[in-house]
Amino acid sequence: MRDLCETAVEAALAEGASYADARAVVRRSQSVRTKNGRVEDVNDVESEGIGVRVLVGGAWGFACDRRLDETGAREAAGRAAAFASASPGNHDRGLAPVEPHSGSYRTPVERDPFDVSLSDKVELCLRAGTALEHADVKVAQASVRAQREHKTLVSSEGTAVEQELVETGGGIDAIAAGDGVFQMRSYPSAHVGSSSQAGWEYVEGLALEREAPRVAEQAAALLRADTCPSGVTTVVIDSEQMALQVHESVGHPTELDRVYGTEASYAGTSFLNPGDLDSLRYGSELMNITADATTAGGLGTFAFDDEGVPAARTPIVEAGVLRGFLTSRETAARLGAGGGGSMRADGWSRMPLVRMTNLHLEPGQGTLEQLISEVDDGVYLESNKSWSIDDKRLNFQFGTQIAWEIKKGKLGRMLRDATYTGITPVFWGSLDAVGGPDSWTMVGLTNCGKGQPGQGAHVSHGAAPARFRNVQIGVKA
Amino acid sequence: MSVAAEAAAAALAAADGEEAEAVVLAERSGLARFAASEVHQPTLIENVVVTLRVVRDGKVGVAVTNKVDEDGLASLVDRARAAADSAVAEPTFPGLAEPAELPDADGFDEATAAQSPEDQARLAAAAIAAAEGLDAYGYYTSGVTELAIRSSTGVDVHQAMTDATALVLAAGEGVSGYAEQCAWRAADVDPAAVAREAAAKAERTRGAQELEPGAYRAVLEPYAIAELLGYFAYDSFGALGLLEERSYLAGRLGQRIADEKVTIVDDALDPRNLPKRFDFEGSPKQRVGLIEDGVARDVVWDRTTAAQAGDGHATTGHAPPAMMRDYGPLPFALALAPGEAGSVEELAELIGDGIYVTRLHYLNIVHPREGVITGMTRDGTFRIRDGKVAEPLVNLRFTVSVPQVLEDVPGLTRKTQLVNASDFYGERYPYGALVPAIATARFNITGAGSRPGL
Repeated sequence: MRDLCETAVEAALAEGASYADARAVVRRSQSVRTKNGRVEDVNDVESEGIGVRVLVGGAWGFACDRRLDETGAREAAGRAAAFASASPGNHDRGLAPVEPHSGSYRTPVERDPFDVSLSDKVELCLRAGTALEHADVKVAQASVRAQREHKTLVSSEGTAVEQELVETGGGIDAIAAGDGVFQMRSYPSAHVGSSSQAGWEYVEGLALEREAPRVAEQAAALLRADTCPSGVTTVVIDSEQMALQVHESVGHPTELDRVYGTEASYAGTSFLNPGDLDSLRYGSELMNITADATTAGGLGTFAFDDEGVPAARTPIVEAGVLRGFLTSRETAARLGAGGGGSMRADGWSRMPLVRMTNLHLEPGQGTLEQLISEVDDGVYLESNKSWSIDDKRLNFQFGTQIAWEIKKGKLGRMLRDATYTGITPVFWGSLDAVGGPDSWTMVGLTNCGKGQPGQGAHVSHGAAPARFRNVQIGVKA
Repeated sequence: MSVAAEAAAAALAAADGEEAEAVVLAERSGLARFAASEVHQPTLIENVVVTLRVVRDGKVGVAVTNKVDEDGLASLVDRARAAADSAVAEPTFPGLAEPAELPDADGFDEATAAQSPEDQARLAAAAIAAAEGLDAYGYYTSGVTELAIRSSTGVDVHQAMTDATALVLAAGEGVSGYAEQCAWRAADVDPAAVAREAAAKAERTRGAQELEPGAYRAVLEPYAIAELLGYFAYDSFGALGLLEERSYLAGRLGQRIADEKVTIVDDALDPRNLPKRFDFEGSPKQRVGLIEDGVARDVVWDRTTAAQAGDGHATTGHAPPAMMRDYGPLPFALALAPGEAGSVEELAELIGDGIYVTRLHYLNIVHPREGVITGMTRDGTFRIRDGKVAEPLVNLRFTVSVPQVLEDVPGLTRKTQLVNASDFYGERYPYGALVPAIATARFNITGAGSRPGL
């Protein structure tokens, strides 16, 4: 692989590139999904190829080829250089310096998920599905997944690194329906379960079968629950929903390519400006957000990003003040701060973009019960159901699968169809408690989209339950 | 023989002796993405992806590869066999599709297929140059996609499709406007015209005002109504949503659910859309009436959901790719029938007092069973006063029941537009929605957000 990447880089330089990098990627994944006792999917997917990125006359070009041979490497390099040469615009790009690195990295795993037979994976899902059975549950589904991605990166600046990243994940959903009402409960996350960079031990640790009866009971109970009322109140939000809150209202707006407008036509821009660094008040003093590409088990964990920048742990928000952006080498050079480290591509056929790695809300103090006990009148929200946020990441609206009213410090009746909405810095400014380390958990999401052509990214977020005052809930159509 | 057809034949041959189906998607595309009036993410893709489905004793397994040499296909067959052996036989599995006569369809244009990276860069440059004093953000893309299916039951089908899209956000400080064109003939896409439309819209967004939440009458441009219907379709226009009672249409088929001016079909054979002859099992594409004259009529079906329903339904040619089976059959060629209005200005006159929406952003389904969707407006939101499009508005949060939006429709334009519905994730499979602009008596605004512009 390294030889092929070197061939591609040399070919690009020969075509006039001032900079080039090549990534050879071999990805294999397996997924199993069962529904109502049926095996819906047993899939084994592989994909491989090489992507070559070049700078010619200051203009980027990217081309890829599925052939992992010398012809594929050379032709991809040639096409990338030709595309760059044809690109219109007044190109003037700098790249933040990075020391050339060589080395390798492999996700530590206790049990290789590809050593676990597909039959065992099917059996696990069927057992979990059986445990979801309930008179009111119309759809009981379970899924598990595994992925191994081997990638080699070589750059014209001397970087040559190899990495093998292994992911596993799983989840269950119970869907209850009746009398025109449709309700869903999921575990451990509503987004096709949760994943981690880890071996099969992660899936075993999820204990899907053990959690299934509770999930099914709650789905059924939601059919008869009252609808969440409308109003302005105190909300306590569980770790899973906080993960998405961090993702949407802190992760994306701090991507520096969005701040500079390069995602304007699709994912959008940001309410942040480059000059906001070290001065903008993002939230209350309890708000501490860290980007950490070194978190054990995080889906955004690596030794080097797709530009060869070593993994790092950096503050994004400290005591409520903006302290950092997620950067590429190009955007970091433009800002004059940071050094990149957040560039990730979806496989071999896409150009690296600024993406989240692992972005965490750092823990505070206390337990979920303590957070609730200090609320006289409010709502506890759990598990994401719907999500939407504007192009600058200001106005958001989220729904959760389940909620409970809080009265005089105690959970009361169950509520369904709960939503809450706010404006990002106002909402974070109303943060008045974050749970402690014992309640801090990490969720791995595999459905983050960005770029044209579209790219998926896998990211993790750690969070503890958190409490916000004066939040609008119960948005109605 | 085409690349895709060759790969399908080779994959099926490698699976000799098995009950098997090879589905091949081959892509050659270029996308010149630009921001701040320069191309910054130009991407050229060439790929061939083979999906092999093997059935052994009623058990189904799927393997996928893009290694189409002898070793790669041999490994593919081994992995598909292992997957099938790991599954459990499903009594309602309908078996692999049998050969069927396919309808004719257009959808391939030699000139579009022949576009080079230089052509794509040149057409992106044309859009950038026409943005008239504003910076251009967006892309020009064109590509050729081949879909070939070959099975042990005798299915042997192939279609080459072309597509081209120019998409432009013209933006500056406090202003932004949006436009796009999509077609299977690149000659029908004028990137400069797209940029001019976006720039003209942007100039009118300067000084955007806030708006009190509430239910407003509204005009939705084709970009907006296409995306709204696309999200509604996920749960409500597919058979799986119907069977699982997620669909708004569950229990309402045959009932009036919309204004009688509203007719929505899925018609992949319409030459004005991005035509397709068959689905991902090789079954012929059919035109399906979803809502006709305001009455809920049907949803789209594939062979799997038809067998699960067990009530005489048959496929309508809407089987999804194997890797999207969890969505069930989906309409990939939505069309909203046109009306009588000669222009969006006429729709504004019908509305009298309300809002004008160009484009939507980040939609999500709040309550699938009620068809409730939330999202934001973007890049061209205006007040309508006295029947005229008036002052610009900030981007607005809406939370609407789509059936309520369609319940009272004062009018639709005569002109329809093909709106690209693909964001080009994964393998390229272009699809779009053919829709007019629409006026609605109820569009529920629940908040205000960002201002136009960067």
